[in-house]
Amino acid sequence: MPGVSLVQSVVTSQNFMNDIDGQLREIIPRLRRFAVSLTRNPSSADDLVQSCLERALSSWRDKRPDGDLRAWLFSILYRQFLDAHRRSRRYARMLEFFTGRDDSQPSVERTVIAQSTLQAFDQLTTEQRALLLWVSVEGLSYKEVAEILDVPTGTVMSRLSRARQALRQLSDGEITRPSLRRLK
Amino acid sequence: MISLPPSERDLHAYVDQQLSDADRRLVDTFLASNAEVAAQVRAWQQDAQQLRAALSGALQQPANPNLDPALIRQRLKRQSRRHLASAAVLLIAVSVGGFSGWQAREMMLISAMPPMTDALQAYRLIAQQGILPADYKVSDDGDMQGWLDRYFTQANRLPDLSAAGFKPVSGRLLSTEQGPAAMVVYEDQGGHKISFYVRPPGPKNYLLPRGSRSDGELQAEYWSGGGYNYAMVSPSDTPAAQMLKQTVQF
Repeated sequence: MPGVSLVQSVVTSQNFMNDIDGQLREIIPRLRRFAVSLTRNPSSADDLVQSCLERALSSWRDKRPDGDLRAWLFSILYRQFLDAHRRSRRYARMLEFFTGRDDSQPSVERTVIAQSTLQAFDQLTTEQRALLLWVSVEGLSYKEVAEILDVPTGTVMSRLSRARQALRQLSDGEITRPSLRRLK
Repeated sequence: MISLPPSERDLHAYVDQQLSDADRRLVDTFLASNAEVAAQVRAWQQDAQQLRAALSGALQQPANPNLDPALIRQRLKRQSRRHLASAAVLLIAVSVGGFSGWQAREMMLISAMPPMTDALQAYRLIAQQGILPADYKVSDDGDMQGWLDRYFTQANRLPDLSAAGFKPVSGRLLSTEQGPAAMVVYEDQGGHKISFYVRPPGPKNYLLPRGSRSDGELQAEYWSGGGYNYAMVSPSDTPAAQMLKQTVQF
């Protein structure tokens, strides 16, 4: 009976979607955390997560790879962030041209007052933050990270090593002179 | 299998627990007798540990309902319907007027194409499938004519079909290659729909003799007047179609 099989296939696809939604719901807090670490701003982070989920849901059928769902979503979100960032940087440069100011660069003030790990982390480059979050916090494998960044595993390892050194230096306060700045 | 002394990469892989058990034991043994390297590795481990702790709070944010997958799915569906709608307008424009360029053949092609095909397509998209939303809806009194006059000043008056129980309910503007078109949908109590369609005759001023034709399940009455072409479309084999054919004088 065609009617019955139609009903069945609708029910099956409904279950399938519920299953996907369930998996996504579990990962959303991790996506939001990653997005905050990239944007440093909770509300634009959620915008980023939303557009990441939109992209994921609309390309699920033909793009979703077999591997870790988390890694796939991280890679979508990361690319979208880079695209948006590039656009806003272009805009910031234009603004700088007209106003003679540049708000996008961290000030010297901000550079020197890194005292906690989180503050140090916030001063790393975008890619270094992403790398450390993926590897140290989320525990992705080097291979998964290499796929996200589309570089060889060896490159991931050397970039990771640089990121670690940078974090170490910043949280060690090797370039910290807060008292000097504060007194000024 | 790694070789000793471990490279810096091996040490990072050790920190990230991405070494095999055997390699891991090798590095353990090495670190036990190399205090300086061990301190370096421990510092990395501590940084990672602190980072995990510092970022764990970010997992506890209150949920944002806008990020619910089911909701996003719905939003996407609405969006794609809207995209489909603008694609449909394009489709009407293309399929009606996609022949321009070859002046010599144009007349032949236009006359080979059944008249007012766009009116039938518009009926399918708007009245039947509801893909394109209305631009204008009649509230209480019938000011549909006023809406239409804003765009088509000298066009024929909207036919009065109230005797048959049909009243204008909504209007929609469309773009065709012949120029802007408007479609007014009439509805009766039973939800049956008839459309009134008006557009310019196009650059070749292709006016139509009064005629009637059916296309699939639909029937169109068409004519020209006041510098425009018109069509009234309804499902064939319905009392409404009969009425349009026989009694309505345009």
